[in-house]
Amino acid sequence: MMTTPGGNGRFKALPTAMYAGYSGTASSWVAKTSVSASGKRIQREMAELNVDPPPECSAGPKGDNLYHWIATIIGPSGTPYEGGIFFLDMIFPSDYPFKPPKVVFKTRIYHCNVDTSGNLSVEILRDSWSPALTITKVLQAIRSIFLKPETYNPALPVIARLYLSDREKHEEVAKEWTLRFAK
Amino acid sequence: MVSETPSRVTNRSADGSNGDIFISPRFKSAAALAGWDEEDLIIASFVVEDTPERSSSKRRRRSNLLSKTSPPSSGSRRRQRIKQSSSNPLPVIDLDKVIRREEERSAEKKNKKNKETKTETKEEKSAEKDEKMLPEQKNSASVVLPCIDKLRDELSCAICLEICFEPSTTTCGHSFCKKCLRSAADKCGRKCPKCRQLIGNGKYCTVNTVLWNTIQLLFPKEVEAQRAAASSNFLTKETPSPRDSNQRLRSRNRETALQARLQREDISRLLVSEERSERRRRGTSVRLDQDSDAAFALRLQRQELASAFGGTGSAAIASSSSSTAVSLSRARANLRAMASRAARRQ
Repeated sequence: MMTTPGGNGRFKALPTAMYAGYSGTASSWVAKTSVSASGKRIQREMAELNVDPPPECSAGPKGDNLYHWIATIIGPSGTPYEGGIFFLDMIFPSDYPFKPPKVVFKTRIYHCNVDTSGNLSVEILRDSWSPALTITKVLQAIRSIFLKPETYNPALPVIARLYLSDREKHEEVAKEWTLRFAK
Repeated sequence: MVSETPSRVTNRSADGSNGDIFISPRFKSAAALAGWDEEDLIIASFVVEDTPERSSSKRRRRSNLLSKTSPPSSGSRRRQRIKQSSSNPLPVIDLDKVIRREEERSAEKKNKKNKETKTETKEEKSAEKDEKMLPEQKNSASVVLPCIDKLRDELSCAICLEICFEPSTTTCGHSFCKKCLRSAADKCGRKCPKCRQLIGNGKYCTVNTVLWNTIQLLFPKEVEAQRAAASSNFLTKETPSPRDSNQRLRSRNRETALQARLQREDISRLLVSEERSERRRRGTSVRLDQDSDAAFALRLQRQELASAFGGTGSAAIASSSSSTAVSLSRARANLRAMASRAARRQ
């Protein structure tokens, strides 16, 4: 129907302004403001963490860089990690809620989902990340792998195999590591 | 062949003549046929003046229609279309002129206040506007609901953690800011951020109007703050630390252009809503609640528009000029005229 592609742009934008045209510009806004949007969200999460911190966890920015946090998780009781204090580094990407934070264990730990340099192999920090997840939820997820390792998705298959075959041996080693590195 | 006149008139004006359309007797007869008043005539003259290519294409299309369909039905449709198009562009054009003037004026200015004061004045302005323009909303906000904190949690977006701004609801029933959901779909795949169900094609970019109106009624301040933040975000993002005055000027230009774009978008949204309400009115049953709904939408848009103008106004005031006051008042007068016109049509 529209026989004049070079028509007046302003006029043409009118009927579709509410839909295609408007939302088209909206997506370009997001790209422009993504940095501050992520900063805003991190600030908000920080406020919420202060008001309602998850059990046996703490987290906060390292220095004045909002995108670099340090978190601690206390090993839950009833596990070989009991009583250990584990430090984690969290680095948030500039498009944060849309990309997962990079979480690294700074304290050495004997766990099948944490490799020798501290990188985690947790599903929600990789492919299953969702922008609706928060720092609190990430910390809770990490705490939950203390209780039950994700053996189907290990960073160190040796430990996973040991966990599945000889649970007692696994607990013994993990306890020793906790005592050595996390206390 | 009375029905041929409007197209011929538009055709003639497309060829370059401008002022004499007013006194063209043929045009008047067509106008009388369509039942326009004088104001609409002026509007029509603006249409043909401003958009020559478009109107000529319309003419072509119309003649196509004429050849295909029976004359009486196409005639009524044509009239309708003419009326639609004529009711739209006047405010755009008028305000555009104002905007352009504003742009030129602000382009001349080289000294620029820092952003803090600008945003401060903007906030003040918006606060003033809150008091002036939305007494009903104020009242509803001042009614302290016992579960307002829970409501806040419920109505906030899981992605930005703020109160949903223009919420969009997925097919699985979860609501997020339209912008947030859009970028989530772009960057994380078309899955619902909350339940990971697939989001349907394109459907996720429509605003849930009921929810949005509810949010605006419940949290007018938050919505206003987000709106202001969105616009000031532009300003701060666009000027990272200008070195020389040249660059400053350039960035200033960009700022104003952006603001002008914002305003134009506001206006066009206003027009869309106006057009919609008009279409509704033309329907068989004119219902009161629909009209009040349209009026509400209109008021909201008007406020948005006014705040956008307030933004440029404050920026201009920062560099002290009396002429901005004139343009501001002119813009207000325009808005008032627009509103009264809409009211009269209703």
